Amino acid sequence: MAGVGAAGVGGGGADGLGEPAPGNAINAGGVLGPLARAQYGALARLRWQMFTNGLRSNKGALELGARTFSFIVYTVMGLAVGAGAAVATYFLVSGNQWRFLPVLFWVLGFIWQMIPVMLASFQEQFDLGILLRFPVRFGSYVLLYIVFGLVDVSTILGGLFCAGIWFGVAAARPGLLLWISLALALFAAFNILLVRAVFAWIERWLAQRKTREILGAVFMVGLLSLQLMNPAIYEKRHSGRSGHQEQAEQLRAAKARYAPLLKNANAVQKWLPPGLAAQSLQQAVAQQPDAGLGSLGLLGVYVLLVGGILAIRLKAEYRGENLGVAPSRVVAVAGRGKAAVNAGIPGMAALDPGGEQMIHGSGPIAAIMEKDVRSLLRTLPLLYAIGAPLLLVLVFSSIFIKNGAVQTPVFPLALPICMVYAQLGFTQIFYNNLGTEGVGIQLYFLSPTPMRTVLLAKNILHSFLFAVVALVAGVLTALRVGIPDIAVVAATGAWLLFSLPCNLAAGNIFSIKMPYRVNPGRISRQRGSQANALLSLLVQLGFLAIGAAVFTLCWYLDRMWIAVPVFLALAIVAVFVWRQVLNNADALANERRDVLMATLMKAT
Amino acid sequence: METAAIHTYGLTRRFGALTAVENVTLSVAPGQFFGFLGPNGAGKSTTIKMLTGLLEPSAGRVEILGQPFDAGALDLKRQIGVVPEGMALMGRLTATEYLHFVGRMYGLDRKTTDRRTEELLDFMQLSNENKKLVTDFSHGMQKKLALAAAVIHGPKVLFLDEPFEGVDAIAAGMLKTMLTGMINRGATIFLTTHVLEIVERLCSHVAIISQGRLVANGSIEELRAGVASTLPGAAQEQRLTLEEIFLSIVGAGGGQEQAQELSWLA
Repeated sequence: MAGVGAAGVGGGGADGLGEPAPGNAINAGGVLGPLARAQYGALARLRWQMFTNGLRSNKGALELGARTFSFIVYTVMGLAVGAGAAVATYFLVSGNQWRFLPVLFWVLGFIWQMIPVMLASFQEQFDLGILLRFPVRFGSYVLLYIVFGLVDVSTILGGLFCAGIWFGVAAARPGLLLWISLALALFAAFNILLVRAVFAWIERWLAQRKTREILGAVFMVGLLSLQLMNPAIYEKRHSGRSGHQEQAEQLRAAKARYAPLLKNANAVQKWLPPGLAAQSLQQAVAQQPDAGLGSLGLLGVYVLLVGGILAIRLKAEYRGENLGVAPSRVVAVAGRGKAAVNAGIPGMAALDPGGEQMIHGSGPIAAIMEKDVRSLLRTLPLLYAIGAPLLLVLVFSSIFIKNGAVQTPVFPLALPICMVYAQLGFTQIFYNNLGTEGVGIQLYFLSPTPMRTVLLAKNILHSFLFAVVALVAGVLTALRVGIPDIAVVAATGAWLLFSLPCNLAAGNIFSIKMPYRVNPGRISRQRGSQANALLSLLVQLGFLAIGAAVFTLCWYLDRMWIAVPVFLALAIVAVFVWRQVLNNADALANERRDVLMATLMKAT
Repeated sequence: METAAIHTYGLTRRFGALTAVENVTLSVAPGQFFGFLGPNGAGKSTTIKMLTGLLEPSAGRVEILGQPFDAGALDLKRQIGVVPEGMALMGRLTATEYLHFVGRMYGLDRKTTDRRTEELLDFMQLSNENKKLVTDFSHGMQKKLALAAAVIHGPKVLFLDEPFEGVDAIAAGMLKTMLTGMINRGATIFLTTHVLEIVERLCSHVAIISQGRLVANGSIEELRAGVASTLPGAAQEQRLTLEEIFLSIVGAGGGQEQAQELSWLA
């Protein structure tokens, strides 16, 4: 049996079953060596097989349809953005407006970094953790991480934006093709690595209780800071009531006041990746190839730096780091009497079936809510889903602020629109409310607690969470864009009373019929469901359309109060439907239990 | 006639063209420690899922404690405890939190749940692991926790799918003591495992399923006598182990010969 002990990776002889010999084992090599290539091939085959096997079920076909549709939508969006970028680039380059070119790169960078933040919950990414048990080199692991990460919305939009800039430069100055190709390649690499590095590190920080608390505190301080800016906003609002001429004067004064600041900002941004990418073109045009190469070189250093930061995180993952967290509360275990054990656990079970029962069956509801709160505090995607709407409201409420001043009178639909953003953020929570249960889903079918009670408990908890988020979002909106009319507040409240049960009812059906497992330790790399995301969005758009029609009509008639009784009447219907869905939850869950368990118990 | 703790009539489960379990009829008397055996893929877990309401039978029916049992039989579910194949644990909770949750899902009040949780964690020697989340537990610890969760409400009928898999010898001894205690107090236990020594030591009755069909059912002595009667002459006199009985009934297959052919294995 010579050679058995020395068998290399891959083992096996020429026919796979013969005497193992080092010479017949696949040579490990580097990240592009024979073993790595064989592994890439196997992984590609695995992905393909998973894809084709997924098509065997109706759900898989639906998923493919949803993915295709999403891909088309994002591509169309990307083409529109890319076309805009091409036109803008053409005019800037042909008009020698080099000082404005960095703006395009900054916008590109912003899109590349912000899209994943907004869509993290909906994107499916392959979890490479499954590879750790195989002899995969670290370099291969990194390469696969990056390559698999390319298939996402930010890369599609960013790539098409890059293509737009490339075509714009090519049309305006063909002599710059080499420069723009190099600059865009480096800038794209920087963005791809940065977005992954940011997510990887945020996940690491959020996985630790202390850093999670620190980040939470930073977030709160950020919100408070924005609120403290309101005296300035109010000041602007009052001055904003003056005429156009006065406004123009104020603008000129502001320009004069902020010019030194802008100059300093411009000097700084030149040393940052978007500025360096744009600057390299300007330097090439100015016949300064050395300086241009220097800019590109510095951009390359940024790429290496970000890649290094990402690699540190991936190295820890590669070594098998577990992002699972210990609970904050230390349960006292000392001093427990062992007498209870000796008192006979073996006997306890058999003849004491009920213990003292909770009155009116309220126990399971409280238990589920308590359990969900505990799980929520340790489940990054859900914490993210709850926090993200506030960020969205913060960002999108700025569209109602023109020239740094709040519009007067306050745009009447600002509050309901901000509430829509807040509600959209809860999509994952409402429409996949069993997604974090994992193998624990079995317990709901084993226990005497009906699924109706389980969903009711979840609905109550989620409604409470949404109420808190909606309240904070409302306060934020009022502080950002001004206090809306009381009729608008009442109408918005009534609309929420209508839309919330609608979403809960639809969400319960989706959660049973189209569930997907949520990886509790990750924000990114979720194996989400495009079909669930797309269809739930369509359903919500339906509810929003009803709301929008009523709001717009009442606004047009200048009778916002009318919306209140209309929404309240609709809310009564919605609550009735929600109750019906709850009453049918057990039948639906029993009918779907095989799929439900198979999906949620699937290893991530 | 005493009402059976578990009774199945023509239990069948089909997955498309595949019939995983076919026409299984069996009866388990109250207080019986019942071993349900079979090779991999024979249909053990599918059967236990149907018995516990996790899977709907394609045909046939199940009675637990004399009452028809299906997923909607909530009162009956209070009387049964289950360690299912996937263990039904919730990874983002601690052991204490999980047992609290399970106890209350079965309708126990907080005080009783607290007391039993503490007792069970002590008994399972998991008290010192309370800083850990369940997801960070070893496989054996998860098994012990799953068993604790299955008994916290004091079930009359206990279904255990591979409860000893991955459990160390000390813990296995404890679990056996606990299960024997339950039997002594009148509970019924339905156990599937591949560890035949445990079945031989604990179970009074055994059923064997192979390729979805029930191929043997009775007390171990009855099975022993049945198999021995098929053996030639002097071999009938020797006392067969359960492993020998099992292999004789389901057939040893060509496993040993095939293993010898894998000459590239060290």
